Amino acid sequence: MESLMQDLKAKIIVQLNLQDVSPEQIGDDQPLFMEGLGLDSIDALELIVMLQQHYGIRIANPEDGPKIFQSVRTIAEYITAHQKTA
Amino acid sequence: MPTPPPIYLNASASISPYALEETSPPLPYPRLRCIEPDYKDFIDPRMIRRMSRVVKIGTAAAVACLREAGVDMPGAILTGTTYGCLEDTEQFLHKMVAQNEEMLTPTAFIQSTHNTIGAQIALLLQCHAYNNTYAHRAFSFEHALLDAVLLLREKEAPNALVGGLDEITDVLYCVLSRFDLYKPAADHATADASEGTIAGEGAAFFLLSPEKTPATTAQLLDVATFYKPENMPERVAVFLQKNNLAASDIDLLLWGKNGDSRYDGLYDAVAEHALPSIPAAGFKQLCGEYPTAAAFATWLAVQILSGKTIPKGLLPNTGVLPKKILIYNHFYNIHHSLILLGGP
Repeated sequence: MESLMQDLKAKIIVQLNLQDVSPEQIGDDQPLFMEGLGLDSIDALELIVMLQQHYGIRIANPEDGPKIFQSVRTIAEYITAHQKTA
Repeated sequence: MPTPPPIYLNASASISPYALEETSPPLPYPRLRCIEPDYKDFIDPRMIRRMSRVVKIGTAAAVACLREAGVDMPGAILTGTTYGCLEDTEQFLHKMVAQNEEMLTPTAFIQSTHNTIGAQIALLLQCHAYNNTYAHRAFSFEHALLDAVLLLREKEAPNALVGGLDEITDVLYCVLSRFDLYKPAADHATADASEGTIAGEGAAFFLLSPEKTPATTAQLLDVATFYKPENMPERVAVFLQKNNLAASDIDLLLWGKNGDSRYDGLYDAVAEHALPSIPAAGFKQLCGEYPTAAAFATWLAVQILSGKTIPKGLLPNTGVLPKKILIYNHFYNIHHSLILLGGP
């Protein structure tokens, strides 16, 4: 889980072109949207594509998005759960 | 014929390959690239991360112009661009091919349209005013200018932010080189008797207003465009007549000579037949050739008219500073335009 979260942070920075942000600056439980990293709806679409592209995870129900993308930890948990079931 | 009231240029800003500082490095012919500022001085860093180069260049020039004018919220935003956001378009198309049209990310696609720059300026300012982008090939900037003039004369807006911009990407440079548009060697733009020109790019923005203010730097007196004209000297003569001007009233002809021996004769014909003995100066040795280069010419004319720093040796040594400048530009003898400017 720890290495997956580190990997996710690095990929999020690249995918969203988060200039001046390093993986160490993103907390495991820090909210990604709004007051946290300040991501928005376009970033959410980028993250959905990122999960599909790099982890083979397709989000079937868009309503699950807010829960999945709450933080790096929730994304990592979702990946772990769904890669096991795949 | 009564001439309509002038429109005033109350601020201008440009990002181009040319820098006013004397310590600047020499221009890298035959492909000129913009000298880019630190964008964080102009744009919210959260917005920069999604912007491609031309969007940053355009947005920064627009913000610099508004700052010079001391205006927070323009009454209209008008942009003219021929190529639009090529870098985003290339990125999106490349991913479509590389990823077999699957798992495409939205950002490059969203930002690939021509009106992205105008939209980003509006987003940055939270400006809900009239916003329009002209993608009319090499008339794009002139038509944006015309729209602004019409808006202001009809009192639809108190002022208008108008800009012309284009970028040259590696792919575009490569494609256009195949059409023999550019000089093969590192020739100077004004080199005689050789075919091709130098590639350029840039963004120039202006704040136009029907009101003269202490900050006014120039007057926009008239703009005209001509598609494949047969007799351009005659068109210039009619244009001057329409503005109640004789050729001798023009102090400087700022022409778009670009060193391409195939087309530079057209400028000579206009100078010889419509503006005899009028001093002339070129501008494309500073910005290169691109379809909205007239925006840079307008910025340069404003610098001259308002007595600001201009490149050494640019003006003919007449001993007098020009008060009326006529910009004549054409793009490969297809799109010809005239922009008439007066001093403040």
